[in-house]
Amino acid sequence: MERNKKKKTSAILAIGLSTALALTGCSSNDTSSKVNEEAAKFNETGLPIVEKEVTLNFVSPKAALAPDYSEMVIFDRLQEATNVKIKWNNIPADGYQEKKNLLLASGDLPDAFYASGFTDKDLMQHGQNGTIIPLEDLIDKYAPNLKKLFEERPELKQMVTAPDGHIYSLPRAEEMDLVGMPNIMYINQTWLDKLGLEMPTTLEEYHDVLKAFKEKDPNGNGKQDEIGLTFWFNGWCGNEGDLIGLFGLPDSPFEADHRVVRDGKVIYAATQPEYKEAIAYYHNWVKEGLIDPEVVTQDTAQLFAKGKTEDPSLGSFIWWENTEVVGPDRVKDYAVLPPLKGKDGEIRVGRSNHSEYGRDAFVITSANSNPEITMRWVDELYEPKMSAQINWGPIGEIYEEDENGMLVNKELPEGVAMGEFRQKVAPGGPFVVLKEHFDSVVDMEPRAKERLEILEEYYRPHMVEENYPQIFFSNEELEKINTIEPEIKEFVKQKEAQWLIEGGIEEEWDDYVAQLEDMGLNELMEIYQTGLDRFNEEL
Amino acid sequence: MSLLAMKRTTRRSKEDKVFDLINIFLVAIMVILVVYPLYFIVIASISNPNMIYEGKVWFLPKEITFEGYQRIFNDSKIWLGYKNSIIYTFVGTIVNVSFTLMAAYALSRRDLYGRNLIMFLFLFTMFFSGGLIPTYLVVKDLGLLNTMWALILPKAVAVWNVIVARTYFQTSIPNELLEAAKMDGCSDAKFFWKIVVPLSKPIVAVMVLFYAVGHWNSYFDALIYLNNEDLYPLQLILRNILIQNEASTQMISDLDSLAAKQRVSELIKYGVIIVASIPLLILYPFVQKYFVKGVMIGGIKG
Repeated sequence: MERNKKKKTSAILAIGLSTALALTGCSSNDTSSKVNEEAAKFNETGLPIVEKEVTLNFVSPKAALAPDYSEMVIFDRLQEATNVKIKWNNIPADGYQEKKNLLLASGDLPDAFYASGFTDKDLMQHGQNGTIIPLEDLIDKYAPNLKKLFEERPELKQMVTAPDGHIYSLPRAEEMDLVGMPNIMYINQTWLDKLGLEMPTTLEEYHDVLKAFKEKDPNGNGKQDEIGLTFWFNGWCGNEGDLIGLFGLPDSPFEADHRVVRDGKVIYAATQPEYKEAIAYYHNWVKEGLIDPEVVTQDTAQLFAKGKTEDPSLGSFIWWENTEVVGPDRVKDYAVLPPLKGKDGEIRVGRSNHSEYGRDAFVITSANSNPEITMRWVDELYEPKMSAQINWGPIGEIYEEDENGMLVNKELPEGVAMGEFRQKVAPGGPFVVLKEHFDSVVDMEPRAKERLEILEEYYRPHMVEENYPQIFFSNEELEKINTIEPEIKEFVKQKEAQWLIEGGIEEEWDDYVAQLEDMGLNELMEIYQTGLDRFNEEL
Repeated sequence: MSLLAMKRTTRRSKEDKVFDLINIFLVAIMVILVVYPLYFIVIASISNPNMIYEGKVWFLPKEITFEGYQRIFNDSKIWLGYKNSIIYTFVGTIVNVSFTLMAAYALSRRDLYGRNLIMFLFLFTMFFSGGLIPTYLVVKDLGLLNTMWALILPKAVAVWNVIVARTYFQTSIPNELLEAAKMDGCSDAKFFWKIVVPLSKPIVAVMVLFYAVGHWNSYFDALIYLNNEDLYPLQLILRNILIQNEASTQMISDLDSLAAKQRVSELIKYGVIIVASIPLLILYPFVQKYFVKGVMIGGIKG
């Protein structure tokens, strides 16, 4: 009896002790910066922003090759000029989304998220519950560079304005005008010459050329290993959208998107008669062996491998650039295939729904006790010359200034790849480079110039005017879109692949359309139409 | 006369032979199903990636190249990850096994006061967990973020393993042994270390294997709790190599790095899988014999 009592007390003691221990765990450090405004002496204009150094905590994703942002030259220069020190919490890009969500959910907030990666849903949700603060007044007072950009490009302002009228985040833009047309067709000029064929101009001629490629062994190895045409099925570039366009309605099949706009109306291309006819037609090409049979299952790595086989085997391919597919040694064998005449004799080139704008470049959280200082700091990045350096890399590393103060590309050291080098010196994030800046502020990369020339020469004159813009939807709309859309996309992607390879679109068409309606396609398109109407009104 | 010769002389009926043939045939198919993917990874790791995509690599390696392995062995990140993984696995497993065995032994003793309540508290966590965010908050407030302990302490004890070990102790350590030891003036702690643990080699081996494999293969905790790339375990580095980020429109002006990245990752993909599996493949045969025995004993009489 006595012993039992003892045991009981000791057990209670033990439990009590452990709870006490658990409760007295280290208290969390307050991560937001507390600065006495008086002491910091904040300047509303001019540099430095503050007389005495202020520290801000930023969270930002970073590319695998990049150093910690505290070691980046560009930020050191900014700190010198502004007197604002940034304490970076750099999260490797591949785990960033998970960690960002954790920080938000746990209330462990920095002063700001740089290159925030916030989805529209995040912006709406955290904007409305006060986790991130509305910025329009701050922009008005403390962001002259950004205001100027908003005047030059009203659509940039519209893009970051949420449906509730607030601006929760800052924009990113790189107006090169390259992403509208990512489906450039290339054809093997060497084979054309060898077989004595003309550059095709119509679908029929193209068909005959591919047939000749397939059957006449142009690579001369005695095997029928030639591939007539390959592309990236439903890819963001090099997709089948403009092949389908030859039947009258250029499609935007990236990730089974299929939204195209004509005269302000959203059309779902994958239920249109033109689409049906096109898929049925190209199925015959697959049957004849003119289109790569692996086209619907291959990933980009496999596609690139086809361009680099031991004996050249690619007759024709679609991509946004040619070196990537066929490698530097064979590039000269391939020429751009100018857009073909469609069925009705017209040339029509689609416009993708990719946007060169982003609205997730920068958000300020409620934990920030110096929003004015933060806004003034980030506005520095929107000065055109600074924007170019944030995007591509700083003066002295990537650029040098010529006598007019233009930024021109430096010669890169031997054996350094531009793309990799950029990751090391350019943080990206909040910046805006407009089209006109390319003649006055910064020199365009040689590769980008090359592509622009191709687009100007062959595609621009025939491009359709409209595409579906990046619209900021409300919470309710997003909710509906996210419920209906994934299933539809999956279904349509699967069907398109099946019809292209195995055929059967004629027989299954009516059931397919009916099933899409059951899945809520009409409701989805209504939301997109409402969004588009709203967007066009506001412009 | 050896056993084998005996076997040969026993008359086998026709049915027996047919039965054997079918058996061998089925087992052979299963072996191929299991072994071929492993074999493919081995030959793919020394083949030219373009050949793999053309589907020409299926039985023998084509255009043999060791460039993939060269790159792996020259890549400091992979070695750092290797080192980290080994440390986490080693330290983590020691922590896991010692805590699990101590808890299990205490709970296996009928004279532990409040045994059922404690067992209930343990079991409760199996069915209801705090979830990701509360767990993250606890780890953060304990100041474990960005340290290796974030990967070790929150997962220090798996309740399932405690139950298995407890059952083992209950069934294979007779009470008389304890009484005899007590007679000789042995304390509980001493009895546990000197008598129970040495008698429980199978269960210790099983626990070591379970936990070590768990640590070696885990990446999610590291993804959540670590920001410093120098602390990344191998699996996380592998994940970054193998899961290629979808090209986005942002990459449009970043072409050569994309192409270069893809080629390199294709080249080393398979080699890395092999390099990463080797430690476990080495560990497995040593504990395998205990493995079967231990789990059976632990699980069957529960």
